[in-house]
Amino acid sequence: MGLLNFTREPVPEAVSADMHNLNQLSAQQFSALTEVLFRFLTEPKEVERFLTQLSDFATMNKISLGPLKNIVKSILLVPNGALKRNLSSEQVRADFIALGLSEEKASYFAEQWKANSPTLTRLAVGQTLMINQLIDMEWKFGVTAGSSELEKVGSIFLQLKLVVKKGSQLENVYVELTLPQFYSFLHEMERVKTSLESFS
Amino acid sequence: MAALRDGDFAALQILLKAPSKDAVRQLCQECFSSPPAALGPLAQRAGPGLAVSAEEAEQLVSALHNLTRHVVYRGLTRAEDILCLFPENFHQNLKNLLTKIILENISAWRNEAQASQISLPRLVDMDWRVDIKTSSDSIVRMAVPTCLLQLKIQEDAALCGNNPVVSALTMELSKETLDTMLEGLGRIRDQLSAVANK
Repeated sequence: MGLLNFTREPVPEAVSADMHNLNQLSAQQFSALTEVLFRFLTEPKEVERFLTQLSDFATMNKISLGPLKNIVKSILLVPNGALKRNLSSEQVRADFIALGLSEEKASYFAEQWKANSPTLTRLAVGQTLMINQLIDMEWKFGVTAGSSELEKVGSIFLQLKLVVKKGSQLENVYVELTLPQFYSFLHEMERVKTSLESFS
Repeated sequence: MAALRDGDFAALQILLKAPSKDAVRQLCQECFSSPPAALGPLAQRAGPGLAVSAEEAEQLVSALHNLTRHVVYRGLTRAEDILCLFPENFHQNLKNLLTKIILENISAWRNEAQASQISLPRLVDMDWRVDIKTSSDSIVRMAVPTCLLQLKIQEDAALCGNNPVVSALTMELSKETLDTMLEGLGRIRDQLSAVANK
């Protein structure tokens, strides 16, 4: 097997056999299976649904579930590696062919890959490490009417509650701002937005 | 917050022994700014300058503290209002001097009271930077801008005395989070202008 695009490590031996089995599926069966796979890849949390759909596919096409799961594991190696390495659909196609999949099926899969890659990329980016991510912000503002030192005050205060994710826990941070500070904060945040937009 | 007591004005007359008007001015400022707990040490420092006993110094300092804080609490700004506080037989010149000193300092004192009132932790500073994430373990090549925001937050001044605790919190915001935040801040601004225009 020549150099593969999606991985630098040697591929498990079972993969060739799995590809050979895949080649036995009709075009329609392959297309149905591909659909199930991509639906899972774009919604990785829906594990239950994925397993149900696989088992339905197995029943409908009279394939045993065990071997089918192995085949699926082998197929998924390619899109997972391709996503990490930003592979083009051409490279994905070439890899499948190198693994032993028929040209027709490899091309079909590569096309589906191209169609789904924006969603998949967005998902991968979303999983990227974030430090102390700001999750939520709540606010209230009001007027201080009086205090123990000043009978009548009448000044405006603004209170923010910032919910920050520290590791796996959420932490609440409470801050109070004066009015000038608020306007200055707003101004700075607008500058950040302009900066972020110029880099997007 | 302290209320004026009967003995206070008698104690204030001790100021007649002060070496100069500036000394009186200085003492007024120190008495206002000092929290009740620190009045004892202040009296000990002030006593020798006035050639009075420790007990008299304490009474004086306490009286000045009460008087200045009372004026600030009530928000008195006119000379007549302050002059009325003094009893009839109070020394005329001293009364006028004290009123004058109080009027000079009233707005600074009011700001000081407002700055030290209880509140949630306060924002003291804010810094930001924009980074571009180019690579990660989940995707080898990308160009995702992200914002790092650092807020410096000071705990309630009253709890910390002279050593305010300032903590720095650095957070990361994605573009989406920033947009949502700006939306929220915009709504606050709109509501503030609606309130201001009423």
